[in-house]
This record gives sequence, structure tokens and C-alpha cells, in this order.
Amino acid sequence: MSESGRNATPTSDFVIEVKGVSKTFRQRQRSEKLLDAARGLFRPTIREVHALIDLNLQIARGEIVAYAGANGAGKSTTVKILSGMIAPDSGEVRVLGMNPLRERVRYVGRIGVVFGQRSELWGDNPVAASFEWKRVLWDIPRDRYDFMLGFVKELLGLDEFFNSLVRELSLGQRMRADLGLALLHEPEILFLDEPTLGLDVLAKRNVLRFIQDLNRERRVTVMLTSHDMSELEQLAGRIVLINKGELAFDGDFTRLRREFGERRVLLVETPDEKPPQIEGAKFVQSEGNRHEFLFDGGQVSIAELMEQVSAQTQVLDVETHRAPIDDVIADIYEKWQASKGRGALPENAK
Amino acid sequence: MGDKSLLHWIRHAFRLWAVYARMDALVIMRSLGTMATWIISDTVLNVASIMGMLLLAQRFDGIGMWSKYQVLFLLGYGSVVDGLMTTFFGYNVAFISRRLGRGQFDHTLIQPQPILLSLMTEGFNPTFGLPTLIPGIALIVLALPHLALSLSAGWWLLFGVNLIASTAIVLAFQFAWGSLAFRAPRAAEELSSSSMQLIVQLKAFPLDGLGGLLAGSLIFALPVGCVAWLPCRALLSISKESFAFWYTPLMAIGFTVFATVMFWKGLKHYERVGAQRYSNFGFRN
Repeated sequence: MSESGRNATPTSDFVIEVKGVSKTFRQRQRSEKLLDAARGLFRPTIREVHALIDLNLQIARGEIVAYAGANGAGKSTTVKILSGMIAPDSGEVRVLGMNPLRERVRYVGRIGVVFGQRSELWGDNPVAASFEWKRVLWDIPRDRYDFMLGFVKELLGLDEFFNSLVRELSLGQRMRADLGLALLHEPEILFLDEPTLGLDVLAKRNVLRFIQDLNRERRVTVMLTSHDMSELEQLAGRIVLINKGELAFDGDFTRLRREFGERRVLLVETPDEKPPQIEGAKFVQSEGNRHEFLFDGGQVSIAELMEQVSAQTQVLDVETHRAPIDDVIADIYEKWQASKGRGALPENAK
Repeated sequence: MGDKSLLHWIRHAFRLWAVYARMDALVIMRSLGTMATWIISDTVLNVASIMGMLLLAQRFDGIGMWSKYQVLFLLGYGSVVDGLMTTFFGYNVAFISRRLGRGQFDHTLIQPQPILLSLMTEGFNPTFGLPTLIPGIALIVLALPHLALSLSAGWWLLFGVNLIASTAIVLAFQFAWGSLAFRAPRAAEELSSSSMQLIVQLKAFPLDGLGGLLAGSLIFALPVGCVAWLPCRALLSISKESFAFWYTPLMAIGFTVFATVMFWKGLKHYERVGAQRYSNFGFRN
């Protein structure tokens, strides 16, 4: 997907507003010792896990926002709060002008939620039955239902398995059906938690295209979480990174790369199998006489690196490209883990 | 209830029952084999569950102060209560601890309707409930001609009220215990199965002759006495007290209030902690 394929910069109102939201879970600590376990029955040791700390977030109508973070960073807690499943300890959440928890019935009629590991489909019934169930439960007018059914069927290619039993679908088909189901009531916001989990490459591409088309054609605001960063980069114009419950980065991917180093890959082919020594670049691996290095494009130029290589050996071929976003994010997570604390990022990154 | 009227939600409930009934029928009609196997196995299971008491009643021409046909009526009544539970609150609504313990309650929370309405409609599966309901009705029909009862409209009305009350008590008991799964999802996941088993196993026993403490606890604490024994004593005029018809409905109100409080408190806890685990086992598949 090209840069131009991404969602347009929103110009209208904010549909999601999160102000100073914190959420702490209390976790009972366990010991492998019997004596400690017995003591814990009466005087348990409680550890407080700060899932979210003073989170502030605003998302405009029509945006696609990637919501990312390492395991346990607080992604699912945020999605659950925004979906009206749990309450924050403090702070304010307004989505579409409503409090998701207190105005749940009205609110959930205007959003769609898809969890990659959970299905809203009825396993022992054909896919069509779940769609009809949704029509009645969501009280969707027949003409809108027919229109949306046609829309999702076409975009997601549901016809081929619409009358099959849900339990007989492949994972990709099931996810497509779940996405279609989530859209029948024309939600204004779609929360997608790991929507491509376990999908093969083709199914993943179809799902991503669908989300993009949906955003473009119907201006649905999408907030999605995923561990697949390249997927997020293809899809979202904006990435929100959280670390240990705190907002660590909020901006676009270009800025993310810039803030955390313009990490690039250099591939050099020489007559020798021994890699050249390059100052300012980190050797990664060699495949025969093809050597791979990583360097920070903001710190050192390709010309400088090539000068060093030419001084040592003949250069047969050279190639350079940006490091995959997954590597960039992995580096960021690694730095965060190494810092063992909060506030490891420069303030301007937030 | 949001901004919609009560009438809207009542209509909505009927529409949902119709959808669930159709989906339920679709499941069983996947193939003739599935359909036959399901109906036969469920009928055998339900008949077997009351057979012990039935044989005892036949052998001794009744049990205690209960005649053979009164026992037959009692068994029928208990089976109809079971059948109503299966018909209206199947699909792990009656076994609520499973839904809560497995983290499946989140699915209910993202439905744009009151939670109560979801719980009152989603478990409707008449096709699966019939094999339990029909043997119960058959037992009552068999017993009635042999019982010296004046089957007036008033009697039938009280019969209906007591049936609903007994069903409400079972449901309330399930929800009161099952709500513990809000706090201990893993440990209490199967709590509803145990409490239901208790009800099913003890519902057919006439409790006359038990000491006050034991009988009281089987009515007020573990309400197995309210499932069939207490209402049948009134309906069959074994109890001579004129107010006996209303014991079970009053108990139903009490248990429903208690269960509502327990569930509400659990729900508040859920708001704070959510579900820390998720298993799709038994959920819509």
C-alpha cells in the first residue's frame, strides 16, 4: 500500500477523547513455598499493576490509529475501557460524546468491536444466521441491513461461505465474517484488537485492504492494535505507542523513525567472504560475499560508509533500504525494557 | 433502558426469542441423524433421571403421605421446571458461572440492549428444551385424572404462577451462586454446574418428615424444596393451609432480590477488574 493509500488527515471533530485516564489492577503475589502460601491466605501480598497512567488521547473522525505497545503495555485495557467493558479508576473517557460505561446501551450501538481471538459468530449455525441475529438484536432497519449486507459481502467476499457452518470456516474466512458482522450496523468507530492474528498472508492482505476501503468510503474511525508493525505502518497514518501504561509516542511513522533513529540497512557485495570493518555501522550477518550492516542514517551518511569499504576492498554491488518497522519498534521496546522504568523517552517524543 | 420505552424492549424480546428459536431449530436440523440422536438421548436421559423415584412410588404405592399419582405429579412438575430452565435459559445462561469464569460476559456487554434482556433471551432454545419439557408434561397429564382435584381456572392459574416461581427460584439460585465467578473466575467457573446438579438430584424428593432445621435449609438456603415439593403440596391440597399456594411465589421474590443484589455487586466488581482470562469453550459452538 502506498503512502497515498493511507487515511487522509482528519479535519473534523474528535470522536475519542481520553483525559488523564489511569487504571490499576491489584495482583496477588504467590509463592512456591507452602508456608508463604498459607500466610498469604490471611495476609496476601498485593502488587499494584499500573495498566494505564494518566493517559491522554484524542482521535478525530475518520482517522486510522495504530495502538501499539509490548505485551502488558496496556493496549487491551484501553480497548476495554473504550468499549465500555471496564471503568477507569480516574480520568474521563468520552467517545462520540458519550461515557462508554454509563451510556452503554446507546453507545455500543454506534461502535463495532472485533477481537482477533474471539468471535461473535454462532458456531453451529450458518454464517447467514449470525447476520440475521445481528439485524434483530441491533434493530437494524431492513433497507440499511440489505445495503450493508451487500456492501460487506462484496468487499469481504462473503458469498462463497455465507451459507456454510461457522465452525467449518477457515480462520481467514471466520475473521472476514466477523469483520462483516461488526459493520452491519454501520458503526462510526471500529475497535480492532489483533484483527489479523493467525491469518495467512493473503487473508491478512484482504483484511487490511478492507479496513482501508472502509475508512476511505465510509469514513469509519479505526483504532487497531497489532503486534505486526509493518501491517500497522501500511494501514495507519498515526501510531500511538504506550509503554508500561504511559503514552510514549503519538505521531506518524515517519516521525517515529526520525525520533528513534533513521535505522537503515546496508547490503554490500565484495569479492571476499570476510566482511569489511565499517565504523558507524553494525555488522549483522554475511551470506557468502554479501554482507549486511545496520546504521543510523541520521548519524552517518552512506557516502562515508562506502568510502570506508572502498578503502578496504572492491565493491561489486551495494543496496540500502530502511530497516523494517518491526526492527525499529523492537529496538524501542528493548530500550524501554532496559530502562526498567518510566519516562525513558524524551519528552518531545510524547 | 436508555431512551427506549418498555414496550419497545418487550417487542424486541419477542423478536429475539423468534430468532433464537429459529437458530436453535437450525442446529438440530443439520441432519436427520443429529436430530434423532439428540431427541432420543435427551428423552432417555430425562426419563432416567426420574425413574428411581417413580419405581419407588410404584413399588410402595406412594411415598409417605404422597400417593403414587401424587408422586407422579411431583416428578412431572419437577421435570417441567427443568424443561423451562432448559428452554429459556439454556446456552450457559443458567450456568452463568461458566460465562463469567470464561470471560465470555464481554460479548454481552457489547450488545446494545440491557443486560437483563440479553440474559432473558439469549438462552432460548425450545428445540433443545422439548425433550425435557414433554416427559414432564406427560407425567402431569398421566397423574391428573387419578387425583381428586377440582381443576378450575383458578387452580390452573396458581399452577402456572407456581411453575414460573419455581423456575425463577432455580434461576435465582444459579445466579446467586454463579455470581461468585465474577470474583474468582477460574475457581468458580463450574459452580453453576454443581448447584444445578444439586437441584436436579434432590428436586424429586418429598421432604415431609424431615426435621425443621433440615427442611428449612432445603427451602431457604438450598431451595430444592421450592422446585417441586412445596408448590406440589399446595397444588395437590396436601398442605391444608390456604396461603400455601403463595409460599413458592414469595420465595421466588426473595431469591430473585437476593440474586439480583449478588449479580449487581459482581457486575460492579467486573467494572473495576474486567475479565483476566478468556476461553471460547462452550461459547456459541
